[in-house]
Amino acid sequence: MSQTRTIMIECLRYDPEQDQAPHYRTYEVPFTDEMSVLEGLQYIKDHLDGSLTFRWSCRMAICGSCGCMVNHQPILSCQSFLRDYYPARIRVEPLEHFPIVKDLVIDQSDFLGKLESVTPYLVPAQPLTPEDGPNLQTPRQIEDYLGYAQCINCLLCYAACPQYGLNHEFTGPAALALLARYNADSRDAGQKTRMAVVNAEEGVWGCTLVGLCSEVCPKHVDPARAINRNKINSTQDYFLRFLMPFGRGS
Amino acid sequence: MTPAPKTYVRPMNRWWMRHPAYRRYLLREGTSVMVAAYALFLLAGMVCLVLGETAFNLWRGFLQSPVSVIFHLAALAAFAFHAWTWFKVMPLTTPPIRFRGQPVPDRMIFRAALWAWGIASVALLVLAMRFL
Repeated sequence: MSQTRTIMIECLRYDPEQDQAPHYRTYEVPFTDEMSVLEGLQYIKDHLDGSLTFRWSCRMAICGSCGCMVNHQPILSCQSFLRDYYPARIRVEPLEHFPIVKDLVIDQSDFLGKLESVTPYLVPAQPLTPEDGPNLQTPRQIEDYLGYAQCINCLLCYAACPQYGLNHEFTGPAALALLARYNADSRDAGQKTRMAVVNAEEGVWGCTLVGLCSEVCPKHVDPARAINRNKINSTQDYFLRFLMPFGRGS
Repeated sequence: MTPAPKTYVRPMNRWWMRHPAYRRYLLREGTSVMVAAYALFLLAGMVCLVLGETAFNLWRGFLQSPVSVIFHLAALAAFAFHAWTWFKVMPLTTPPIRFRGQPVPDRMIFRAALWAWGIASVALLVLAMRFL
């Protein structure tokens, strides 16, 4: 058992029934080397202030629930350790660019709508039945999209993207990366239906390649790459629609 | 999903102060102002050329002034930084490139771009010194 030390955790607090604006409250939290920021928050809730509200579930960077800002950096609180911040105090805030529901809990509905808009599922060329058998892929075909398929919808990339913060119409990193994931899948034939989202001003062209989305992604999805590669597809689509106005394009 | 009854939306004022990556991004984009300014400067030279010999000689004379030398040095620094940062992000904007079935690593694309930049610059300098 490692030695217990004490760290100051400054938490953003907002109670929609009482507060006009958020404020900060600082807690003294005893911790050991193996304690994550999430466990620090759980200590506060269990021992210091039961009203502190935050989301969490798996505690192992799989569910994507516990994203928050620690010292202005979007992170999964289960994946960050208090020992790495000590002896400085840490400031914990809800994910940037999203409306705060209560304390560290944000309203995700805008993202969920955007996720739906990119048709985030396989669209087969022809309807398939179980009798058609498995839809086989080669390892190379899997490799084309596997990286983008790791997204856990934790929204750290949206909290890192100032373009999304400045303009909520922007479809945003995770949704556009998932769009690229399905377009890159050999079993999918839905690229045409997704082109309207790609081509829109608030689609891939809303991205100015700040690049922080890819840096903060805990699953190395690299949304900046997915979005900027789709700019080439969008440009091709634009010119092909001129050349073949009655044939291809959306 | 029912929206929350009352939420708080934080303002975006001074957003660039929140992360060093935002300031690097603004610096990268900001250098494009210098790129545009230099394009306008060259355009002014072209206009002088069209206007006649006197105007063009005046523009050439200005090239040798200290203000022009400082402007050119600043433009060179801005161009170099601008090009460097865009070569850095170039692998994110290119379609997947494979060599003998293996994906080409980002650092190889970056280095290839740097080499192409260097060779093109030297070739241009040699041509300019030979014919001007």
